[in-house]
Amino acid sequence: MAIFGLWVINKAGGLVYQRNFGDGLPGLTSNEYLVLAGTLHGIHAITSRLSPTGSSSGAHVIEGESFKMTIFLTATGTKFVLLTSPVEPTADSVLQKVYEIYADAVMKNPFHTPEMPIRSEVFDTRIAALIK
Amino acid sequence: MTIYSLYIYDRHCACVYYHDWHRTKPPRVANEGGGILPAVSHQIYPRKDGAALDTNPRNTLMSSSGIIVAVNDEVPRTPLPGATQQVPANAGLPFDEEAKLVYGVVLSLRNMVKKISGKDEGFVNYRTSTYKLHLYETLSGYKFIMLSDPNADSLRFVMRQIYAGPFLEYVVRNPLTQMDSKESGIDNEYFRTSIDRMIRGLSVFN
Repeated sequence: MAIFGLWVINKAGGLVYQRNFGDGLPGLTSNEYLVLAGTLHGIHAITSRLSPTGSSSGAHVIEGESFKMTIFLTATGTKFVLLTSPVEPTADSVLQKVYEIYADAVMKNPFHTPEMPIRSEVFDTRIAALIK
Repeated sequence: MTIYSLYIYDRHCACVYYHDWHRTKPPRVANEGGGILPAVSHQIYPRKDGAALDTNPRNTLMSSSGIIVAVNDEVPRTPLPGATQQVPANAGLPFDEEAKLVYGVVLSLRNMVKKISGKDEGFVNYRTSTYKLHLYETLSGYKFIMLSDPNADSLRFVMRQIYAGPFLEYVVRNPLTQMDSKESGIDNEYFRTSIDRMIRGLSVFN
């Protein structure tokens, strides 16, 4: 029951926000995070094509042995990725709330350029308050 | 709850075995020259012209009597132009492309999980709205990949059973099997039937 990190990936596969919580996972350099986000973007597209039956969404939950990633894709193509411990029942609702905060603190901000890295203090503090 | 398919890859990234069950969107026959090994699965191996020679009743040799049974051909022997390959409307990708995509996804996810965790730990499974992909990797580099219903529990133990049971028994301990041959898939009917029986016996199958 722990949240390790949050990524926001724009519709082109660029990482626009990345933050770690706690020390459950080792930190990587920002370059490595960018590469991983790009890879995830590609994998997400391929997974929707591999469906054995009918049309499918992209990967929703990816599990490793010590953590899982929950991916939430918005209608506009932005992806919110939450890294949590393997048993974390609240991951989906946390992502939903992150999306609400993103809409309020980022998208409604007239000084924010879409698809560019998120540098907003309000977003930072509200995310910190949500994930404790 | 159901199980859709099983792929086995060797350590050279080649698909050596494929088996499917409840797929409503089956893969198309592999492209010729797509790099698919023979004997991976009969249904997806590229056919030579005059498709489905093996199933032609003229070639059926009765095993009991040794008599060649001649029956009227139900399919015209020279296919009409444009109708050489019948593709169902809901068909998926050609199998060689699908096999490469599956392997690519699994390999990238495996590396990604290793990178994020910072440990030598593996990727276990992922889930989309219509299916769940499970991975089991042996120490010798064989990868067992299974696609199932999204609500299924972990199928690692099933793939371990396949490895410890039929795979060791009919493939590894079989002196006639060329491991790592890079020329042929797992060509063994015992293996295929015992996997089929094992999967059909699972509680998640129905």
